[in-house]
Amino acid sequence: MKLITAILKPFKLDEVKDALQGAGITGMTVSEASGFGRQKGHTEVYRGAEYTVDLVPKVRLEVLVDDADAANIVDVIVKAAGTGSIGDGKVWTTTVDQVVRVRTGERGPDAI
Amino acid sequence: MGTRERRSRSNERDLLISELFTSSGADSEKIAIAAVGSFGRGELSPGSDLDIVIIHTGSYSPAKLTEIVNAILYPLWDQKIKVDHSVRTRSEVREALGEDLKVAMGLLDIRLICGSADLVAEVQSTALSTWREDSDKYLPELEKTLEERYQRNGELAYLLEPDLKESRGGLRDITALRAMHISGALTLPMERISQAESILSTAREALHLVSGRDKDRLLFTEQDKVAAHLNYLDADALMSEVAQAARAVDYLMQMAWHQYHHKGRDGFGRFLKRVRSDVISPGISVSNREVVIDSTFDFDTDPVIGLRAAATAAQLGMRLSFNSLRRYADALDTGRGALPAPWPREAREYLISLIGAGPAMVEIFEALDQEEILFHWIPEWRGVRSLPQRNVLHRHTVDRHMVETAVSAAALTREVHRPDLLLFTALFHDIGKGTEEDHSIRGEGLIKPLAARIGFNESDIAIIQKLIRHHLLLSATATRRDLDDPATISGVSEHISDLGTLELLHALSIADGIATGRAAWSDWKASLVSDLVRRVKLAITDNTVTQQPELTPEQISRAAKGKLSVAIEDRGNIYAIEVIAPDKTGLLSIVSGVLNILRLDVRSARTKTINNVAVMEWIVLPDPNAPDLSQEMLVRELTRGFESEGKLAQRIQDRIDAYTQMPTIPFPAPIVETFLDAATDATIIEVRSHDRPALLFSIGDTVRKCNIDIRSAIVTTLGAEAIDTLYVTEIGGGALSIERADEVATRIEGSLK
Repeated sequence: MKLITAILKPFKLDEVKDALQGAGITGMTVSEASGFGRQKGHTEVYRGAEYTVDLVPKVRLEVLVDDADAANIVDVIVKAAGTGSIGDGKVWTTTVDQVVRVRTGERGPDAI
Repeated sequence: MGTRERRSRSNERDLLISELFTSSGADSEKIAIAAVGSFGRGELSPGSDLDIVIIHTGSYSPAKLTEIVNAILYPLWDQKIKVDHSVRTRSEVREALGEDLKVAMGLLDIRLICGSADLVAEVQSTALSTWREDSDKYLPELEKTLEERYQRNGELAYLLEPDLKESRGGLRDITALRAMHISGALTLPMERISQAESILSTAREALHLVSGRDKDRLLFTEQDKVAAHLNYLDADALMSEVAQAARAVDYLMQMAWHQYHHKGRDGFGRFLKRVRSDVISPGISVSNREVVIDSTFDFDTDPVIGLRAAATAAQLGMRLSFNSLRRYADALDTGRGALPAPWPREAREYLISLIGAGPAMVEIFEALDQEEILFHWIPEWRGVRSLPQRNVLHRHTVDRHMVETAVSAAALTREVHRPDLLLFTALFHDIGKGTEEDHSIRGEGLIKPLAARIGFNESDIAIIQKLIRHHLLLSATATRRDLDDPATISGVSEHISDLGTLELLHALSIADGIATGRAAWSDWKASLVSDLVRRVKLAITDNTVTQQPELTPEQISRAAKGKLSVAIEDRGNIYAIEVIAPDKTGLLSIVSGVLNILRLDVRSARTKTINNVAVMEWIVLPDPNAPDLSQEMLVRELTRGFESEGKLAQRIQDRIDAYTQMPTIPFPAPIVETFLDAATDATIIEVRSHDRPALLFSIGDTVRKCNIDIRSAIVTTLGAEAIDTLYVTEIGGGALSIERADEVATRIEGSLK
């Protein structure tokens, strides 16, 4: 099993959610995040005052999938989240040892 | 469903217990069973516990007493009836009374079920007299337990899933109010909440029936079923009525505690047994830490007095006296003291002062609602009164959410150039809710006649409508659109094309978000919205600095004479005054100081100097104690002021000292901004501050001490907020250097602290 984590531009969340649902994903966790990568923060000057934007608001999306589906789901996210410009975000996968559905006690892929 | 059923349920239990008492072989001379709490009042819901106390003379042996008690209780337990019981002698009851608030309150509702009537009557008498004699011990303890309960259970009126018994404004509060009333320490109009008690008790009874459980929390999943069971139109109608009932209970509770804490305790009043009263203005005084409208006041002579009293109370951080509210409400109900349409300017200003008082306005607004005064002023408010918002984002009903938004907006008044429009729009931004129609669009339509009635001019109404129509625009765009896309920015600037409206919409979005709660607003979202606003600002080539006034040819001609002249136009409740005077350093502060001495409150002013002669237009609101103004009087006072600035300053200081003895509420710190390149040959200083007596005099005096000239000035007071824009130059002419501008700004800021 894999945990797919994606850092996205906030406005792309709805598109990514729709695309994931189209690919058969029914559950996901979404949280507010902020940070920067190669995009860095940026400085703007307005009416003589300088604004430094250190951390850029992002959305963090997490999806648990079976090993066999991981590559496809990553592709779905990347395709839906991309604008082609800097700051589009990142997607990565991590191996998950065990998953338990709290309500039923199901374990492994059945719990996804 | 209702009182009769609850009474009948109670009677059935009485009968059962009486039968068990008889079959236990108990001697009805030596022992009695009494109901306490809600059972004592004969108000049993299906899930209510049976609270009973078994009182005995102490003449039974322990073994025999146990045998009797077991013979009564075991059959009840066997029938799965929940019983909360105690077994006590009369002296043990007295002991428990002194130690346990819960016991003391429960015994106030004691009622004989069976056995010795004398025993129960004696305990009842003891319980009542102890409660009354020791109310100074019990009531503070009760207040503490209420606060703890509120912390645990929240406010009934505003929770999505409230506890009908334990939440603030719930049934347990009604029991507490009854106990406070019985104590004799205060007198409460309990009849005000009889309907509320019936609504809450019936809702609780229905909840027990439809859920089959004894829980009092009205869960989301049960609301539709309870509404259907009680024949409400839908769950919203049920929750609205429940909220309204809880608000009535809470209002009486607030009134009760105020009465308990302050009545006759003001200053020496507690020793002299005479209420101390400080007159604030004609018809209005402060007594027992309440703002009071004189009992003999004729409301027809001054229809604005209600708003004046409300604004005064809010700005002092006090409440409005219940009796004054009641009298004023009665007057309005009988057609006396109605506000004209459109409202006079001072009525609008008082409304803005009330809204702008921050947290202090909540209690006053609630009182105006409970007394239905609000609906005489703003009938549109009834459409959103206690209107529930059954979604996870909101934590308040629509009306309370708008009040909370206004509270948040009051902290943002320094961020905008039109605090009045921000506060007004914050209070009414969701006025369009309550139908299937898009509430922003509906609100845009509803607000137009409302704002016109309150006296805003057409251009202000257009801004208010735009703000209400687009109050979700920034939040929605910031989170759902690509901010790097120029089309996103132009999509916003297409609707909001000037900086003044943009800063208002930004502040409104923040206030709305904060009031909605953590589910809708976070630092994360705030940063997205700020980023969007910053980008839109860059796309707008406008500025918010007030432009210098233009003089009419007539004014230029009068100025050419170079002499002091005064013209006064009486516009009903306000005066428009033109002062033409040879320019001199400190002229603005002297004239504003003289107006202050004459008890004329400056609402706006525009001044401009031409050929060393200043032309000043003042709009002033006379204090109710102001002398009758005449041209001669004003010329005389101005001449005195020019001749002796020191004496004028001292007289003003005396007035300021008198005002500073009154309490005040917290407000945002003043902001002084300088603009170096926004005017030709002058530097612009913009001061945004909470209004206070002689504010303009202080600013003008500081400018004079900085040795600079005021070339022109635009002074605006909006409710309790003031925005003063000064075009200043060095004495010999020319704009200030950056260092000088900074120095002046710092000194003005210092003078306002």
